[in-house]
Formats: sequence, structure tokens, C-alpha cells
Amino acid sequence: MSRRGDWVYENNGGTCVAIAGADYCVVAADTRLSVGYNILTRDHSKICELADKCVLASSGFQGDIKALHKNLAARELLYQHQHNKRMSCPAMAQLLSNTLYYKRFFPYYAFNVLGGLDSEGKGCVFTYDAVGSYERTGYSTQGTGSSLIMPVLDNQLKSPSPLLLPAKDAVTPLSESEAVDLVKDVFASATERDIYTGDKLEIVVINKAGMKREYIDLRKD
Amino acid sequence: MVGKNCFAIASDRRLGVQLQTVATDFQRVFKIHDKLYIGLSGLATDVQTLYQRLVFRHKLYQLREERDMKPQTFASLVSALLYEKRFGPYFCQPVIAGLGEDNEPFICTMDCIGAKELAKDFVVSGTASESLYGACESMYKPNMEPEELFETVSQALQASVDRDCLSGWGGYVLVVTPTEIQERVIKGRMD
Repeated sequence: MSRRGDWVYENNGGTCVAIAGADYCVVAADTRLSVGYNILTRDHSKICELADKCVLASSGFQGDIKALHKNLAARELLYQHQHNKRMSCPAMAQLLSNTLYYKRFFPYYAFNVLGGLDSEGKGCVFTYDAVGSYERTGYSTQGTGSSLIMPVLDNQLKSPSPLLLPAKDAVTPLSESEAVDLVKDVFASATERDIYTGDKLEIVVINKAGMKREYIDLRKD
Repeated sequence: MVGKNCFAIASDRRLGVQLQTVATDFQRVFKIHDKLYIGLSGLATDVQTLYQRLVFRHKLYQLREERDMKPQTFASLVSALLYEKRFGPYFCQPVIAGLGEDNEPFICTMDCIGAKELAKDFVVSGTASESLYGACESMYKPNMEPEELFETVSQALQASVDRDCLSGWGGYVLVVTPTEIQERVIKGRMD
């Protein structure tokens, strides 16, 4: 008889999306926290603001995600003290990758999408797997609804898909409001078909004016 | 997918054995009669055997009843045939589409042991089914005309199979209205 006293992870569900534009970045995630077929809360944020132009959205095991966000926020504060400026998004991207790989043999069960503005003010999105492999792309999605959303983003974003070769620098030519509308649409579709996605959608938009946060209701069933 | 007095049924064209692609023109959508089509995804040998058995049963039905089978009846036939093999199933998920009485579109899907699932909008099956759910859910509108339906189905199919390594190598889309049948092969990413 095998005693399964050793399974230390669980999947709390949820979906995250990020889209990079010419001078903005949209990062969005739903706010449902589930365990198995139950909902623990309808109001749990998966988004963490790490720096003034850098936002991390993570789905997966919330225990590991809380620890990861805390770790990164602490490292960012140290950087601020040592360098007298906030961390840029590409720098944070590298730090996140290294932090994840540090636990290569007992990973953070976290599927991350990092979004923000790079040092030139252009939108950037970095997408990760659980052990830190990362890539800068024009858009990405992670989480339980990601396989439902990704093909729609490929189709709608009129920007070179990460699947094309040679790899092209890929921010979408869409405007900020068009991108936000697209995010609302894809989440509405994912909510219909994925049981772990729903309740509320939190959208963070980063542009040179700063960060704006918006909440949209999704289906609660 | 259902449109206004019409339906579309589509599939990819790859036949593979895990990583190896064996054929790029494999037929998965089959005609039962002019207004009834079945698409079968899953194990290729079961796809072909099941199609042959269904055509056989339909031809017998045509001889006895002197008419074509209604889509709803056909769906029940497929369901019964699959459940006969409950403890040693056919590894196939069928997608059935037809025009019923008064040319009312009918679609349904089943799991591999015959659990029917009717839908009013669209049904999907196969290795890229999750991606297809997302794409169809976003792109579907009720009461689309045949040309728009063709565009929608093609875009949803292409976008979804491009994200699945086991599907692809082009697409095959069939749009059926009460008066005509249009079939088209779409060229997509051949990888």
C-alpha cells in the first residue's frame, strides 16, 4: 500500500495573461482561489507589483506563489537600497529566472508571467515555466485557462507569434483600450469553459503615466 | 459549428504516431448522407473501423426504411455502437453534424463510450480540444451565414492546431447548407 504522505503541492487554479504594446503593458489575472472542486475565495489577487514599471502575475500553488512574491519584493528592496533606483523589468526578469532555478530540485509550483516597460519605455512581457526557463515575448498566458486563451491571442494580436521563425521583436500594434478589450473577451471565453477561472478579473495597465488597476466581474459559476 | 440554416465540420489532416508524422492527408470527416457528416478523432484504426460499421448500418437502414437517417437517430446509433464496447472501447471521440427536419442544424459529440452531449453552438474533440474550446468560445456568433461560418471555423481550427504538436499539416473544412455542400482544404503551418 503506498502512503501518499509526500505530495506537498496543490493547484489553486486560475489564469494569467499579459500583453505588451508599443508604450504600455497589460497584465491581468482572475481572482478565484480553488482547491479541488471547491472555491476558497472569490477575491484573491494573483498579481504582485514588484517595481514601479514591473508587475508579476502567477498561477499555480498559492503557498509557493506567496513565498516567491515575498522573496522577489525583498530582493527588489535590497536593490533599491544598494543602487538608489528601482529594478527595471528586464533585470527583474533575470532575477525571477535565477530565483526559480535556485529551487530546481524542489521547485516553486508557480507559473509566472512578468509584464512591464523596459528601459526604453516599450512594453515587455516575459513568460516562465516552473523552473525558470524564460523568454521575452509580445504576449503570454499561464494557468488552467492558458490552453483556451493562447490560440485566441495568437490569432488576434496582429503581432508576430512566438511560433514564427526567425524570432521577431513582437509588441502588438493594437492600442491600449483595444488590448484591454481583448483581455476582457478572452477571459469571458475562458470562464465559460474552465471551472477554475471566474469570479472577478483584475487588470493592471502600466504606461509612462504609471499603473492603473481595474476590476471586471466574471461569471461566478 | 452551427450557423444560420447551415453547419460546418472541420478537421486537421495529420496522421502521426507520437512524434512521427505518417500521413498529411488523413481523412477524419466522413459523409453518411448528403446532410449528415461524422468526424472521428483518436486511434486511426478505430476511426476507420467505426466509419465502416456506421456506413454499413446506415445502408441497411436505407434499404429497410427507404429514406435517410435523421441526425438525432444516427447519433443514438453511434452512441449505442460505442457503448456495446463499454469494457473494451473504440478509442475515438466522434463529432456528428447534420441538417434535420426542416433543415434545422444538429450537432453533437460523444466520449469514447457513447455519452452524448448535444450543443447549440459548437462541439470539439481531439488532442487540441482545450485550445479549440477557447478559440470557438471567443469566435462564435449565433446565426452566421455560410461564408462567415467558413471563415470562423477555419480561423478557430488553424489557431488551435498551431498550438498542438500532434495536430496540423493543413485543414479540411466542409460547410453544408440545404442546397449545397462546399469543401475546402486550407493550407496552414506544415509542421
